[in-house]
Amino acid sequence: MSTETCDLAVIGGGVHGASVALFAARAGLRVTLFDADALCRAASGTNAGTLTMQMTRAALIPYAMEAHKMWTDASRWLGHDVGVVACEGLSLAFTEREEQILSDRATARGAAGAPIRLITPEETLKIEPNANPGIRMASHCAIDGYANAYLTGIAFRRALLEAGVTIREYTPVIGLEPTGQGYDLKLRDGKASARQIVLAGGVWLEPMMEMLGLRLAIKTLVNQLAVTERAAPLMRTVVCIASGLLSLKQFPHGTVVIGGGWQGTGDRDTNSHRATTESMIGNVRLAVHAIPRLRQTRIVRSWTGFESETADALPALGPIPGFEGAWICGAVHSGYTSAPYTAHCLTQAILGGEPDMPLFPIDRLLTAPLRDPQRSTH
Amino acid sequence: MTPRTEIADLIVIGAGPAGANAALAAHNAGLKVVLVDEAAQPGGQVWRAPITAKAKQSPVKDIDRKMGDALRQQLVSANIHILTDTQVWSADRQPEGFEVGTIGEAGTVFLRAPRLIAAPGAYERILPFPGWTIPGVFGLAAATALLKAEKTLPGRRIIVAGQGPLLIAVAAQAVALGLRPVAIVDAASRADWAKSLAGYARQPRQLARGMRWMAQLTRARVPYYRQHEVSSATGADSLAGVTLRSLKSGETRTIDVDTLFVGNGLTPADEVFRLLGADQEPCPISGTQRVVCDELGRCSVPGLYAAGDAAGIRGALPALHQGRIAGLAAAHDAGALSGAALSAALASSSRALTQLQPFADASCRLMRLSGQRVAAAPDDTIICRCEDVRAGDIRKAINQGAVDINQLKHFTRLGMGPCQGRICAVNAAEIIRQETGAAVNSTRLTPRGPIRPLETAQLIGEFGYSDIPIPKPAPL
Ligand SMILES: Cc1cc2nc3c(=O)[nH]c(=O)nc-3n(C[C@H](O)[C@H](O)[C@H](O)COP(=O)(O)OP(=O)(O)OC[C@H]3O[C@@H](n4cnc5c(N)ncnc54)[C@H](O)[C@@H]3O)c2cc1C
Ligand SMILES: Cc1cc2nc3c(=O)[nH]c(=O)nc-3n(C[C@H](O)[C@H](O)[C@H](O)COP(=O)(O)OP(=O)(O)OC[C@H]3O[C@@H](n4cnc5c(N)ncnc54)[C@H](O)[C@@H]3O)c2cc1C
Repeated sequence: MSTETCDLAVIGGGVHGASVALFAARAGLRVTLFDADALCRAASGTNAGTLTMQMTRAALIPYAMEAHKMWTDASRWLGHDVGVVACEGLSLAFTEREEQILSDRATARGAAGAPIRLITPEETLKIEPNANPGIRMASHCAIDGYANAYLTGIAFRRALLEAGVTIREYTPVIGLEPTGQGYDLKLRDGKASARQIVLAGGVWLEPMMEMLGLRLAIKTLVNQLAVTERAAPLMRTVVCIASGLLSLKQFPHGTVVIGGGWQGTGDRDTNSHRATTESMIGNVRLAVHAIPRLRQTRIVRSWTGFESETADALPALGPIPGFEGAWICGAVHSGYTSAPYTAHCLTQAILGGEPDMPLFPIDRLLTAPLRDPQRSTH
Repeated sequence: MTPRTEIADLIVIGAGPAGANAALAAHNAGLKVVLVDEAAQPGGQVWRAPITAKAKQSPVKDIDRKMGDALRQQLVSANIHILTDTQVWSADRQPEGFEVGTIGEAGTVFLRAPRLIAAPGAYERILPFPGWTIPGVFGLAAATALLKAEKTLPGRRIIVAGQGPLLIAVAAQAVALGLRPVAIVDAASRADWAKSLAGYARQPRQLARGMRWMAQLTRARVPYYRQHEVSSATGADSLAGVTLRSLKSGETRTIDVDTLFVGNGLTPADEVFRLLGADQEPCPISGTQRVVCDELGRCSVPGLYAAGDAAGIRGALPALHQGRIAGLAAAHDAGALSGAALSAALASSSRALTQLQPFADASCRLMRLSGQRVAAAPDDTIICRCEDVRAGDIRKAINQGAVDINQLKHFTRLGMGPCQGRICAVNAAEIIRQETGAAVNSTRLTPRGPIRPLETAQLIGEFGYSDIPIPKPAPL
């Protein structure tokens, strides 16, 4: 195995790592992308694909708005299809308390720049005639939509190859050593080296940071989804509810994906996770409550994936303190939506420039180091 | 309203020869058993109960019918708690044991028990060829199910094709119904059958029945194409013609027919085992995968047992004994049967299994579908019928970097339809293996529930908004 040094090694080929690798390669760096599995087979290939402002944290709305533009224009910068559909989005309130949550959240997200307004049940039913007429209120966002997440891997693979990125799948990085000029990456059979590195391991950011002797707590959520068989057109918008525990949309081929962060069970260390029947029944009931005609469909599959979250539920995006040329990118809430733009901002910093929007440096999240950080000397 | 839960000492999935005998053995040893089957009556595939008046009235000289009637009588006499017309759709491990989700007339019912015997039988394989999804093409196994339940077969001009003993069984019964096949198309050679004779001779009654069937076919002068396979079928909305190809010379001929019955062996129904994370191994005889279990049916997951065709294709009589053994083992492991009592009770079934093995091996060898034949499918052959993914699409995806079957699913939607990859996954895996030399592990789809498509209405039942346990809202 050659140990030729590349300019940038990206570790983790989800939507974050793949985007950084793509942008950095386009900017002229020699990039190698490592993934323990195949590209975008973890969260980035199995998520619900919702590109919504109504589930995005207020602090991330400006990033998500920019990223939404990128997703709807994917043919231009990505060059390959991920099945993006832009449409309106609705978030529904069924109780008084939910009305309160909805208006608070609509206000906060509106203030952050999302075109969200509160609408009456009548207006809601005009936009989405199959919605439950018993709703009390809805918030409407003109900018919403979805992608077909399982196409993420194939689309990025093509783009990355065209951009000259070396893709190394089924190649976990198992150790990291600062060398002074960069980093040595320990692989199962050999090693690689790079001037700069990006850790983009999703929920596995925690063990990756441990390779540098740093302790960054990453909470592992086991999100669960279900999908119906192909059905006649039932809905045309992305439908959520005030609490954020439902996301629903019908894909052009007719299947309806039901999600919203209901939890399955799983274990990050063994990379095993599975759906629970309680969550499935709860989530599907909520879906049917929102769009009653879903009662006539059949559920063909449910599945789960790991979503990562930091202690304050804001991203880990920026330089790794004490490690020159080492960067971290991930743990973004509703991270699929914002990924291309947050990755764009991080890449600007990697290239030595000023990012278009501020990063989320992780100094705030680091607890006591596991061992003395070996500072690289330049 | 929360779904109902039933608690037992043992859950048995499948009331075929294996599951029904497992339930009987465990029940007789004192366990509280619940037996579930999606069919209207116990009996499984081979001992399926007649449904229509015509099928019920036909003379009961068939041994399968006799065995089935006897089994149904035994279940009634023993007063086994059995849920028929009830589909198993989930299987979960919990700290106290297993939870099995079922759906039937009563809606969703969860079964819980510290032990679970899974005996859901097998699925038929069909070697994909251009046109295999045209209406008018049926499985051989589906034909046997129709024959048993309704004593009828569709079609006027039929071909019976494929491999293994079902071929002869279906062709002969078609003749008996007055529906003489235009051709029998058998992948095996005379020598292949001759090799199996020694095994078959160990089961004289079955052998005699097989010989009777062969004699009927000879008398009816049904053209018999040995070492041939169906290479394509044509027709738009219904079948119009079938092209046969000699496996030796490659020569082809086309025959006008309106119905084709075709089947190429069986593969274990393994969803329950895979959902529960039980270890799998390649099955040397059928060429597909099977669950790993010891001689008492115990799987790698504690408390889980496998029996019958689901544990590796062996046929009805071995299934009966495997079921009985697993039932006794579960009773013993639950403390209802001493070690000595277990050994004593096992002896007869263990002996029978040993004796039956050569017969099972003989059938399996004839039914084995070679991977090369699957992987040779022309580019325009549909592999995944739910999502219309063709052999050429798969080869293209492999060229673009899909080296395992889960990646292939993302690239092509293969296996994403209602059948969950039950039919296509083994065949797609053969194409991947052929093109990439991939290891077996990377050729299995990640198991996902539900085991069968679920009617949403049945799953969720009637409920009020306040019945939904809505977790804490996500952070703003
Ligand atoms: C079920 C589900 C539904 C979701 N729905 C939505 C939604 O509708 N909208 C939305 O915006 N967001 C959604 N999300 C969140 C979104 O999917 C994630 O935020 C995003 O995909 C995370 O991307 P990532 O690249 O950070 O991580 P991942 O996609 O998890 O990628 C991390 C990669 O790192 C690799 N890796 C790990 N360890 C190593 C190692 N040692 N060496 C090399 N590689 C390694 C892994 O194999 C993996 O490919 C959902 C998440 C889930 C799980
Ligand atoms: C369609 C078909 C037809 C066959 N016909 C013949 C034949 O004519 N002659 C012959 O010798 N062999 C036949 N075989 C082979 C035969 O199945 C076996 O030899 C024998 O029946 C095995 O017994 P078993 O108890 O293991 O499984 P089976 O007899 O298949 O019994 C399994 C039982 O499990 C039930 N089941 C499966 N999944 C679920 C679920 N998710 N929920 C609820 N219930 C479930 C089924 O309804 C079935 O009753 C056939 C096989 C198939 C697949």
